[in-house]
Parts: sequence; C-alpha cells; structure tokens
Amino acid sequence: MSGLPLVFASPWVLLALVLLPVIWWLLRLTPPRPRAETFPPLAILARLIRREETPAQSPWWLTLLRLVMATLAILAMAGPVWNPGEAALEGDGPVLIVVDDGWAAAADWERRRDAALAIVADAAEDSRTVILVATTASAPEAATPLNPEQAAARLEGMVARPLKPDHGATARLVVEITRDHAPGSTFFLSDGLEHADSSELGAAFAALGGQRRILLPGTEGLVAMAGIRNDPDALVGTLIRPPGQAARPFDVVTFDIQGLPAARATALFDAGGTAADFRFAEPVELRNQVVRTAVSDAENAGAVQLLDDSFRRRVVGIISGQSADLSQPLLSPLYYISRALSPFSDLREADDANVARAVPALIQQGISAIALADVGNLPEETVEELGKWVEGGGMLIRFAGPRLAAAAQDTLLPVRLRAGDRNLGGALSWETPKPLAPFEAQSPFFGIDPPREVVVRRQVLALQEPDLEAKTWAILEDGTPLVTADRRGAGWLVLFHTSSDASWSNLAISGTFVEMLRRVVDQSRSRGAQATEAATSLPPLRLLDGRGRLGAPGPEARPLVVGKGIEPRASIDNPPGFYGTDDGFIALNLFAAGDTLAALDPASFAPGVAAAGYAGEAAFDFKPWLIGFAVLLFVLDCLAVLWIGGALNLPARGRARAAATLFAGLALALAAPPPAGAQDEAIDFSASLITRLAYVVTGDATVDDISHAGMAGLSQFLASRTALEPGEPAPVNIAEDELAFYALLYWPITAESRLPDPATMARVDAFMKQGGTILFDTRDQLSGPLGGTANSPEAQRLQQILSGLDIPQLEPVPPDHVLTKSFYLLNNFPGRYAGGELWVEALPPTGDGAAPRPARPTDGVSSILITSNDFAGAWAVDDSLRPRLPTVPPDPTQRELSYRAGVNIMMYVLTGNYKADQVHVPALLERLGQ
Amino acid sequence: MSGPIGAVAPRETRKETMARARARAALIPDLLVEAHRVANNVFAGWHGRRKRGVGEDFWQFRHYVTGENLAAIDWRRSARDDNIYVRDREWQATHMVWLWVDESPSMLFRSQFAVVAKQSRALVLAFAMAELLARSGERLGWLGLTRPMLSRRAADHLGQSLMLAPPQTRLPGPEGIRNFCDIVLFSDFLGPREETLSRLQAYARAGARGHLVQIVDPVEETFPYAGRIEFRDPETGERLTAGSAQGLKNDYAALFAAHIASVRAMARSIGWSHTLHHTDKPASQALVALHVHLSQDVWRQHQ
Repeated sequence: MSGLPLVFASPWVLLALVLLPVIWWLLRLTPPRPRAETFPPLAILARLIRREETPAQSPWWLTLLRLVMATLAILAMAGPVWNPGEAALEGDGPVLIVVDDGWAAAADWERRRDAALAIVADAAEDSRTVILVATTASAPEAATPLNPEQAAARLEGMVARPLKPDHGATARLVVEITRDHAPGSTFFLSDGLEHADSSELGAAFAALGGQRRILLPGTEGLVAMAGIRNDPDALVGTLIRPPGQAARPFDVVTFDIQGLPAARATALFDAGGTAADFRFAEPVELRNQVVRTAVSDAENAGAVQLLDDSFRRRVVGIISGQSADLSQPLLSPLYYISRALSPFSDLREADDANVARAVPALIQQGISAIALADVGNLPEETVEELGKWVEGGGMLIRFAGPRLAAAAQDTLLPVRLRAGDRNLGGALSWETPKPLAPFEAQSPFFGIDPPREVVVRRQVLALQEPDLEAKTWAILEDGTPLVTADRRGAGWLVLFHTSSDASWSNLAISGTFVEMLRRVVDQSRSRGAQATEAATSLPPLRLLDGRGRLGAPGPEARPLVVGKGIEPRASIDNPPGFYGTDDGFIALNLFAAGDTLAALDPASFAPGVAAAGYAGEAAFDFKPWLIGFAVLLFVLDCLAVLWIGGALNLPARGRARAAATLFAGLALALAAPPPAGAQDEAIDFSASLITRLAYVVTGDATVDDISHAGMAGLSQFLASRTALEPGEPAPVNIAEDELAFYALLYWPITAESRLPDPATMARVDAFMKQGGTILFDTRDQLSGPLGGTANSPEAQRLQQILSGLDIPQLEPVPPDHVLTKSFYLLNNFPGRYAGGELWVEALPPTGDGAAPRPARPTDGVSSILITSNDFAGAWAVDDSLRPRLPTVPPDPTQRELSYRAGVNIMMYVLTGNYKADQVHVPALLERLGQ
Repeated sequence: MSGPIGAVAPRETRKETMARARARAALIPDLLVEAHRVANNVFAGWHGRRKRGVGEDFWQFRHYVTGENLAAIDWRRSARDDNIYVRDREWQATHMVWLWVDESPSMLFRSQFAVVAKQSRALVLAFAMAELLARSGERLGWLGLTRPMLSRRAADHLGQSLMLAPPQTRLPGPEGIRNFCDIVLFSDFLGPREETLSRLQAYARAGARGHLVQIVDPVEETFPYAGRIEFRDPETGERLTAGSAQGLKNDYAALFAAHIASVRAMARSIGWSHTLHHTDKPASQALVALHVHLSQDVWRQHQ
C-alpha cells in the first residue's frame, strides 16, 4: 500500500490526460475574422468597448479554463477516492482484531462493528480464524481463535461499554495470544483516543509480525464531561475534548431523578481548545434535584456526569437569640454568619422569633445544619427535638454570647462550660486579647493559616475534662479552646467559644471565619449521613450504558464497595451509575475533574503500522466534487463565451453596475480617505484652532454674499467689543463639510433653496444633538403677507426643512431667558427688520414657588434659534466696514441693537448658561453680607 | 450587409504636392460652383446696417442732448435756427469673417447613406458662406491661411489659397483675430475636446464671435452596424473589435448624442452658436441655419 491513501476506481481513464495537448491545440483555433469598418468616432466607441480583444486567438485564460475543465472531467471519470479504508486482508494465519469498545466508540459503534465484520468476512473468504479482543474487557478466556461465523456472531452481540479501554491489560493479552497463535493479520479498531497505557499496546503491536493496520476514526465531536460541582450560584462543570479541533458549542442538559430535562446550558470550545466550562445558574432547589448532566448530542457515557447527595448544596438554618434589629444589621449576630455561610451553602433564616417554633420548622425543611447564634436557654421540647435531629445526622453549630454565657448548662453543647465568660484585656485585667494558635493536624481546620490579626477579647471557657483536647478543633494562643465539637450519633455539635458578631472577637469579620465555617458545614452530610467507618457494599441501582443512558443494571454488574480509604472506580464490574438504594445512593462517574483527552497519534503509538480511517467515514470520493467543479467551470465558460460574443453587452448599464459593485469594495478599501479629505483637512484644521462664525451656503450667490459679509461684520463687532476674536467667516456646505468645529451655524432660508436630503438632515440633527446651535433666518419679516412671517414662502420652506429634524417645543425668547443677558441686556433681537421674534427652545416651566430671578437657569443651550429679522443683512459690512444694507426703518440704533443681539447669541452659544449663574452674583454678594 | 458601411473618401491629399494640388484644384471649382448655387438660394436680406454709426457718409441731423460731446455739434447746421444739431454718420465699418474647415482624416469619412464626405460638405458650406459674405461686401479670411480680403471674388481666392496649402487638421492659433469679427468653423469636432476648447476660448478672448458647424455622417449617429466588427479610426489607425456591434447601438447613440451636446455646450460656454449638419441632408439647410445665426449675431452686435 502506498503512503498516499488515494486510489482510482478506473485508473486507465487517466491515460486520456495525454489528449490534453490536442485539446489545447483545438481550443486555440482562431475565431472568425471580424468585418473591418472605418469609424471616425472611435474614441467614443472605445468608451463602450474598453477591452482590447486579441483577434488572433481566444484569450489565454479561456483556454486555461477549458483545459482545467477537461482535466477535471478526466480525473472525475477515473473516480479518485481518498482514504478508501478498504481493509484488504493479506498474509495467512489467524486474524487478530482488537476493538476499542469503550465510551468513545459508543456513538459510532455500528460502523466500528461493520468494519470488524468486514474484516471477519474477508477472513471467512480465506478460511482464517479470528481472534476478537475488546479493550475494556480483556479477559484471557475470550481471546481464543474463533471461526469467522462464531466471530461474526460474537461481534453482533458486542456493545460499547461505558468504560475507559484498558490498553495495558489488552497489551498483555495480545502478547499472551501471540505466544500461542501468531496472527497473520492484526487490526486495531481504535476509538481515536489515547488512553492510559496506550503505549504498552502500541509496543505490543509494533512487536507483531505480518499485516498490521490501525483503523482510526476522527475525533471531531467527541467530548467528555470532566467533573461537575455545585457552586453557590451555579452548577458548574467542564467539558473536555482532544486538542486541535475547531471552535464549537455543545449543549449540556441536566435531568432530574425522573429523567426529565431540567435545564440547558451551552459550553463553547475555542478553536483548538480542549476544555470548555458550562454553568447552570438555576435556583439551588432546582440544582439539588439534578441527578444527571449530559451533553445533548454526544451519545456516550463519558459525556455524562451523575450527581448524588455529595453534590447537593448544604442548607443551613440560622437562629439568633437576639431580637433582630434591622436598622443596625452590623450588630446582628446573624449578619456575619449569613455572610460567611452564603458563598457555599444556602441559608434558611428562622421566620419565627420563637425558637420553639423556629427549630421544628427548620428541621422540617430538611436542612443539614443549624447555626444558633448566642442562644442560651432552649425550651425542653426544642432541646429534645434538636437532640434527635443531631443524632440523625444534623450538625448544630453554636456561637457563644452573653446569653449562652449566662445560661445554665444545657445538653446541646460539646463540652461543659464554666459559668460566665472570660474577659481578656479589659480595664481590670492584665491580660491582652489573644490571637489564635495554629490549627492542629487532627482539626478539620488544619491547613488554614491562623490569622495573626484575629484576637479574641471574650470567650466562654470549657471545664477541664479528660476528653476536652480530643473535642477541641481550635485553640487560642494560651491553649484555651476556641472551637470544640462532639459527635452525637451521626451528627455533630460544634461550639464557637466566642460570639458570632464583632463584640467579643474580630474573628467574625475575618476571612478565616468563612473558611472555618465552610469546613464545619462540610462535616455535615445533607439528608441523612451515610459515611460510615466500615466499608459497605452498595448494590447497583441504575447504571449507564455505553451511550450514556441510565438503565437497569445488567447481570454482570457487581455491588460497589465504599468505605473510608476506598476510592470507587468505574470498572467492568462496577460500570458508572448509581449504587445504593432509592433512599440513598452514590454516583460513580467515568471521568473526574482534571481528566483530559488526547487523540491517538498512530505514528507514535505504533511506528511503522499503517493507519487508515474507517470505511465510509474518512473515505472521500472526489468524483462528485470534480464533476461539480467541472460543471461550474463549464457555466463560467459559457458566460465567458457569451460575454466575448457580446450577448451580454445588451445590459451594458447593468454590467457597468455589476462592475461598479465589484469595484466598490475595492474602491472603498483603496480610497479610505476620500479625495475630498485632503483639501478639507486644512480647512478643518484651521477651523478647529480658531473660532469662526459659520454660515450655510444656500447656493444663491446674493444670499451667500450677504451671509458672508454679515458674519464678517459680526466677527468685527465681536472682536472690537468682546474677548472673542473670531476668524474669517466659514462658508459651510451643509451636506458635506464637517460641522463639529462650529458652535453656531447661520442658516438663511430662501424660498428656492433646495431641500436637504435625509442624510444631510441626519447630519444636522447630529450637529444639534451634539451641542451645536443653528440660527435659522427666514429674512421675511417684511415680505410675508400682512407684514408677518406666517405662510411666507421662506417660512414654509423652513417648516419643510425642520420637518426632518427632532425639534423640541419652541417659544419666543422669554424676558428671563439667558439670551437677553448673556452679554448685553436686551429686550428684543432686531436685525434688518425689527418686528420679528427670536424663537428658542422652550424652557421648562418654573415651579410655582420659585423665586423670581433675573435669568432662569437651565442646562444646555437651545439647539435651534429662529428669526425672521435678517440678521446677516443688518450685520453685513463691506470692505471698508460700512453697512451694506439699510435697516428697516433706517435707524442706526437698530443696527447697533442687531449687532448686540448677535453678540448675545454668540455668547449664549459659547458660554451656555454661565451667565444665568452670573446674574445672581449681586444677590449672592448681598446675602453674604458686607 | 455585403460591403463596409463607411469608407474614407478619396482625399485630395497625395504624397506628392503636385498631385494633391491637382486633386484639390479639381475638387474646389466643383465645390465653388455648388457653393454659388447654394448661396443663390440664400441671398436675401444681408444689408441690415442702415443706421447711424462710425462712417464717412452723412446719415441724419438730430437734436443735441445735454451731456453729449460738444465736438459732435454741427455748428453750421445749428447756426440756421435756434436748435443745436448733431450730425450723425451712417455706420460703414465692414465686418470681418474668418472661415475654417477641418481637413483631418476623419472628415474624409463618407458612409453609404451620405451624399458626400464630411470634408466635401464642409468645404461646400465654407465656400458658399464665402460667396455670400463677399457679395455683401464683408472681409473674408481663411483662418491660419490667408489674410482678410475684401473682394467680390473672395471665395475664388480662398479656394486657390487652399489648393496650395497643406491640409489643416488642427485649429490654428488666434493670431490675426481682432475684436468684433466672426469665425465660422466647419468640423466634426471629433478631435481632442480640451484642445478644441482651449483654441475656441483663445478666439473668444481675442474678441471673436463664432459659429460652429458640426458635420456629422448619419452613420456616426445611428450606428447601423451588426455582428462582429473591427472598427478602425482613420485618424489614429487604432483598431477596436466589437463582438456584437448591434448590442452597442443604444449606448453608443447616447454617447454620441452626449458628444454633440458637449460640443453645443462648448459653444454656449463662450457664447457661440452651434449648428448640427448631417451629410445626408442638403447643404443649403445648414447654410440657411448658419445664415440666420450669423445675421442675428451681426444684428445683435450692432444694435
């Protein structure tokens, strides 16, 4: 077999490739000579026919296209198949078939079996015996030579097991078999993954003689679920897969005990990533019901995790003896407990202040631990109830406090206490507050760094008793116990000798407290503790099959032995599943957190052994693709011929559009800075440095001239009267120029002005929204009917323009508007004409009780100003600074006032409501007093 | 279609100067005769200058208006009565008209639908124009070739000068063009637009008013070609093959219409008139149109 797994169904067809030069010669035949015509306006025609045709022969690319087409057709006829996977049997002697029948083979088991059956069928033709070895159950007795019929029957009966293949055992079995029956042909039907001891099997393979082959499937889509845990906020797990695969999401579904799907989440693998996390953020009650989590479209046992009680989140009830003072939560003894417990358990606060009623209510909720913060006296029946509950596996965590210290002895304490408490470092004491001593090795707290900053000022003291030391989990530096615990039946009594708030010690506000409580709560089992010292065997309850489905246990499943120091492992005797009874069971999983998957590399597994894909899986038939591609080329060729023949010339405009579309992207990419940008840049640059008065170019030369002169006049006036020295007025093309540099746009409206298109209006709208102000001037105060502006052509045009804008409500400038005070004190805003109002955005109405102020303070600047008074006409000056147009009526005062109006508008636009604050200065000074 | 639709007419140009001169000589008298015939049809109403102006002859006396130049007062006449008179003279300035015909190879084109080649038609029009103008006593000149002349036989003179001159394929420079003269250009205006425009603008700057007569072969406008055709530019010899010429018809027609419009716009931009003439139409059509333009223009100029 050649190294390249490419075969041709009919190789002799390839001989036709010899014909290619002939085809090439044929294709280069000259098309008919065109008729010659003299045509003077050739230059005009040339704009239609851009491409210079080579009349002598068809274009080279067309020839190439046709040659490729012919080549493809010949190749397609030859029927090339990549990776045919046909396991041709060679040699003689027994045929050894090693099958990976683990979890990874489950999803695709039919094909694996078919591959094996094909080999067996081949063996039957050659009358060779077959030895079948399954890697999950490498029992020596199974590995005997069978005749092909028996082997086929056995294969039919084989199913994928929910186990990891044991390649080590298989390797030993293979070595053993080959000692007796040297196989003539060896096939390893791998599941594509590298398992533990795969190298042993590889070595055994490499040592074999005769024909050897490895059938290797792809590992795409193969995932396993490695570990899952119930975090405070979510059920979190990890999916793993072999490296080097594309990014892909997997759906993960949780199921409850009835097998109904409860929740769904997605884990997303990065490209090449081998692990992906998923999380179910459902409420804890829902999460605690989950018994099975599976990848929805991965049918194998590895993609399933079973959850038992140990995955349940502990529910802790907390009860305080102190009356809850909700206004001062930091003083509540429960505050720190709940804060410390909430990260890893779920809290149930007693909803009844009466302990006698709260305790039974909590116990009924099936909680696993109860924290009693500074509860001294307990009612008789409550003590009895709590005692029973603790005996049954409950964990009672008690915290000291004034009440406990003052209370008489009660039974629910791990140690007997001295009456009263011990005060360290008080005013009448020589002693200082004591820090914690390092935790002892037998303490559950062992491993936590004792915090140096934690000091205990008050504690309750245990009576010195012989077993005190055994019961002590934590001590202070002076040896006095801080945490003591005692077993009661299946449960625990734990006592913190200091308070759960910050009054006796700052333990409660340290991070150590959280860690200590977590360890304490971990000691408790959830419902009904099952951990026993002695090893017990649990009967199989429900077991997984190879495809990851729960089912009744088969006859070969054996009870699972659990106990202290016994790490249960999935094996042929104990397949993954639930063991125990319906009342209490434990889950046995195939994968644990930290497991990884690796693809089997045939080169390093068994060097020199040929590897191939399974038949039909990795085999790739090129024929349809080649034919499809050839057809595509043929269509292209037809189009090209039509194009050259001119049949596509008819919709030349369409072609131009297509070409335009084609080149549009290119042009966009190439001409990223548009050509206009370069020349605009200088303008923009200067506009960004100098404040310039800007006016909108209307296209009407007269109006634009007056606008320019008006802006120049106002600029001059501003420069002479105010600190603002504007630059040369800027004509603005509203459709194209960058508007961001201008605070104010003067926009004269002419009746003939073209309506801006929507894109332009969007720009204008953005300009206004970003703080720009537009001063619309209809200049029609005199020209409108009845001397007003209503329904004048300009006003109508303005209405049409504004209909495209997001304009708030407008009002004439009210007397208390900032505009009337921003530089000069003005009552009205005349331009060339005096009668028109200046309209601004309506101010929010003042409240009834607001004190009358000279200027109403508002935020922002009106984005729109509308006048009909022809400001620019009044401001316009010629080169020698003489007014260009007379005011109506011809009154020098009016012109001065119009300039002042311009100054006020400019100041308003530039300074906003600043002046509104400034006008209060006298009042403020007065209020400050002399 | 059997033969080619259009062909280059035998041009009166040969390599040898003599042969060319002979060919021109043979052609131009014919053209002159035809031009005479055409001009006779249009001969009416060219004398429009019976009005006062700068000239030698007395025209009228009229009352002096305050503000007029005192030197204009005819004291002799004014002495007769109490009024003061001014002597007006009749306007006598002769007008100068420059003619020019494009003789580039593209002008030699003649299709089977046309009566004559474009250049032939252009020359006929030019000589007819010269005949008309000479009859009305205008001064005539061939742009870039002759000096302005005032003669009843100006058309013959122009024809003789043209016979000896090399064919003019480019618009000559504006030398010799004065204010208030007219220029009549006959061409197909297929040459480079920028060059043509710059020349025209130069003329306009020199103060000339002008008239463009665009001669078009009908084939150039209608594009009656079909099939696979190799087009050759007679000017440059450039070749262009159209796979399917009929498919180009509409687009070409639009482009050519745009070309005509651009020539018209070019004329408008400098205030000149534009006349479109097809070689399958009688020459007198163009001549009448041109005559209208020219007389209107003269009239307007002297109004």
